[in-house]
Parts: sequence; structure tokens; C-alpha cells
Amino acid sequence: MSELRTSSIETRGVPGKKRYAMVIDLRRCIGCDACMVACKAEFDVPLGVFRTWVPYKVVGTYPNVKKQFLPRLCNHCDDPPCVRSCPVEATFKVEDGGFVLQRYERCIGCKACIASCPYNARFMLPKHRTHTDITSVVDKCTFCHHRVTQGLVPACVQTCIGRSRVFGDVNDPKSEVSYLISHLPTQVLRPEEGTKPHVFYIGADRNLTEHGRAIYNLPEGLEEDRKSFGAVRI
Amino acid sequence: MGDYTIFHHIPWGGAYAIYFFTIGISAALFFFSALSCFREEFKPLRLKAEVASFVLLLVSGGLLVGDLSQPLRFLYAINPLYLNFASPLAWGALNLASFGIVSVLYMVVIKKGDEALAKKLAVIGSLLALGLPVYTGFDLTVHQNRPVWNTPLMPVLFVALSLVSGAAVASFLAAGEARLLAALRQIMLWSVGGVAVMLISLMGTTWYGGVGQELTFMALTSGSLSMSFLWLGVILGTAVPIALLLAPFGRQPNGVMLSAALILVGGMALRYSILVGGQIVQTYF
Repeated sequence: MSELRTSSIETRGVPGKKRYAMVIDLRRCIGCDACMVACKAEFDVPLGVFRTWVPYKVVGTYPNVKKQFLPRLCNHCDDPPCVRSCPVEATFKVEDGGFVLQRYERCIGCKACIASCPYNARFMLPKHRTHTDITSVVDKCTFCHHRVTQGLVPACVQTCIGRSRVFGDVNDPKSEVSYLISHLPTQVLRPEEGTKPHVFYIGADRNLTEHGRAIYNLPEGLEEDRKSFGAVRI
Repeated sequence: MGDYTIFHHIPWGGAYAIYFFTIGISAALFFFSALSCFREEFKPLRLKAEVASFVLLLVSGGLLVGDLSQPLRFLYAINPLYLNFASPLAWGALNLASFGIVSVLYMVVIKKGDEALAKKLAVIGSLLALGLPVYTGFDLTVHQNRPVWNTPLMPVLFVALSLVSGAAVASFLAAGEARLLAALRQIMLWSVGGVAVMLISLMGTTWYGGVGQELTFMALTSGSLSMSFLWLGVILGTAVPIALLLAPFGRQPNGVMLSAALILVGGMALRYSILVGGQIVQTYF
């Protein structure tokens, strides 16, 4: 697989190196949001921002309608655009494990990494926080680096009631994630960006993963929500 | 059916667009001041343009630092131990700092009247000035996931926008100087023509692009950015000045000034809408 490697920081198939990935089986996700809550609790993630979030779309025709969930988080890309775009190397990729992490003490808050992330995985921490003094720098999911290096799985995986989220080393052919990726059709978000994401989905369809033309005519209620959030209208 | 429940902010907003505007003008004004070392008609601009360029450089620096969420860490961006040369921002920070130093030296030298040294600094400073719109263009180009930004046109478009906006400001500084105004009119006409060609190309490729690009095209031409992009930027700030400058009225000082005013309005509107336009669709993803 070495011919697929385009940058020196990629860990694809490197012997002796771990390459952590998450497989999210959308057939098993019930949209309980426990992963979001576990993540918030693990990291004291402030209100209004998320390291992981579970957006949904309502699909089908009445009465046969259903909510389709698409749990989202940092994709810990093998070739992360955020690492390239950071002018001060405040964001970096861990060679063994492939975690994309943030050096809070070095981040200048230029937001280039937020602009470069195709997955909206990065956000700015607010100026004031109750329990944590890391403020006004960019933050993101760490794949629970502190837990994984202690032999635990990420908090969202630990709490997932439907076992929709599975975590492991894809460089290890015996791991569950390797089994799932090699035996089932999987999808990644925005493969055309060349980021080589490490979050794989089972059962994600184009309704969920692509920009829909429907955003040009959003339902009135949703447009109101966006306005109150302060988002720019299309 | 777009029932996504989490929304995202655009990372680079108005302050960054104003920065693009002021730094572009600052770079071009330095260039016009430097031209005075080689072209007689630009002599009246020498000190005025240099001072205006330096003031705008200070304003731009303030905008850039003020937009950081950790403004006191701005020095990290020029710390060789921290710099990541894969990022255009790192090159930009070095370019900006060295342009500032050369600009100060140039000002001191022209005050002293050392023509030979002024010429050398004029050339070095002009190259660094050229680097400013080029790096701001690259700042956007490198984001492969952003419609409108991710095109090789961007650095060239920013150079042309810088030249045309700078010439517009210079024409106000050159009031009463007929030869200089005529030269600036030529520069404005050619560079705004270049901007027009690039905008047509940009709109075409965005319109014919993928879904994200198509939606961005709709936002720019009929959505929330249509006023700033299409009406202020393309029509009022590009097409009308071209027509004015080509008309007999456009050869008179008042015609040049009117075109310059419209060009400045359009230049700001275009920078804002290109910057924000590339980020809107992503906030829905």
C-alpha cells in the first residue's frame, strides 16, 4: 500500500506503527446522543460546541419516514489539511497511532485549521469556561488519546448503547475494525478531498454524506434556528 | 430535507476581508512609490504613497493580530522554531514582517535623498509587496474543500485587485497631476480589465462545478451575497468603471476619480464575498 502514501506523516501499512480508526455502523445508531454526552463529560466541552455530534435527516414519504443519523467527529485523517495549514505547528499528527492532536499552548487562534477542515471538526473554545482554563484556542476530538494510551477505548465508544461505534488499530489485521472494514462495504466522508479519513461508516448513503441542494430552501424552522445561532444564510 | 441540528460558524469573517483590502492597497501604493525611482511622472507620489502604504500596513497588521483569538501570540508566527513552512500563513507572516522592515528603511532613505539606495530598496520592497497579494491568494487556494477559493486564479486575482485598488487610492493622492493621473488611469483600466476576465472565469468554473460549488455560485449570484458580489463587486465595481474609463469622461480627472471610488467599493465587496462565499456551504455540512 506504500504507493498510496503521499506525505511522510501517513501511517498506512507502516510496520510496527498503530493506526487507530473508528467504524460507525449506522444500522445500529439509534440517535440517543449518549456519545455526545459522554464526550462533553470527558472533556468539559463547553455549551454550543461539540467534539462529536449526531446530525440527522428525516427521509422517506409520510407515513414511511425515518430519521437517518450520521455521528460526526474529527476524522483523524492520514493526510490532514489542518496540520498542513497551521502556521505554527500547533496541530500535529502522532506518528504511532495517527491521532491528530492540538498543542493548546502554541495555538495563536488564526483559524486556518478550521477553514481547512472539510468535516467541520474544529471549533474555537469560548473565552470563559467554568472548570477548565484552556480558552480561546482551537479544539477538536482527540480520539480520546489519553484513554487509548491507557488501553481504554474512547468515551463515545465506551458509552455507545447500540455498539454502533467500534474503535481499534487498522494496522492490526486481527482487530475488529480491520475485520469490519475488510468484510463490509464502508464509506468515508468527502473522499474526493484526499484526506484519507480514519472514520469509516457502514450504511451511509449520499443523502447524508453530500451537500444537498435542499440547503438552498431550508424549512422555515431550521432557517430560524440558523439565524438565532448567527450563521450566515446561503 | 435538511434537518441537520448542529450549525457551524464561518472561521474567517469581515475583519479578514478588510485585511485583504488594506494590505492589497498598501502593497500597490509601495509599488507606485517605488516606481518614482524609475518613472518621472510618479515622482509626486513618492512620499505620499509610501506614507499611506505604511499607515495601511500598520492598520492591516492590527487587523490581523486583532483577529487572532490569542493576539499576544502573534510573534509565534515569525518564530523560526515554530514555523510550519507548509502553511502559506507562515510565509505570509515572514513576508509581512520583512515588507514592514524594508518599508521603514525605504522611507528613511527617501527622506535622506539617497537615490541609489532608494532604487535598491524600491526593487526589494516591490518584490515583497508583490508577495503580499500572492500569499493572501494562496491562503485561500490551498483549502481544497472550499468552493471559489480552491482555484489557481486566486493569487493572480488578488494581485490584480491589489493593483487596481492601489491605483484607485493613488489617483486621489495624485489630484492635480495630469500626467500621473493618465498613467494611473491606464493601470486601473488594464488591471480592472484583468479582474473582469478572471471574475468571468471564476463564475464559470464555479457554476459548472460540483454541488458545493454550484450552491456557492447560487449564494454569490442570487443568494445572501448577491448584493455584495454581483451588484457591488462585478457590476458597480468592475463593469461600470471599465465603461467609465473607456468613455471620454473617463479621461478627465473627475471621471478617473469617480471610477476610482467605484473600484474601491467593488474591491472591498469582491474580497468580502469571495472570502465569505467560500465558507457558507461548508457551514451546512
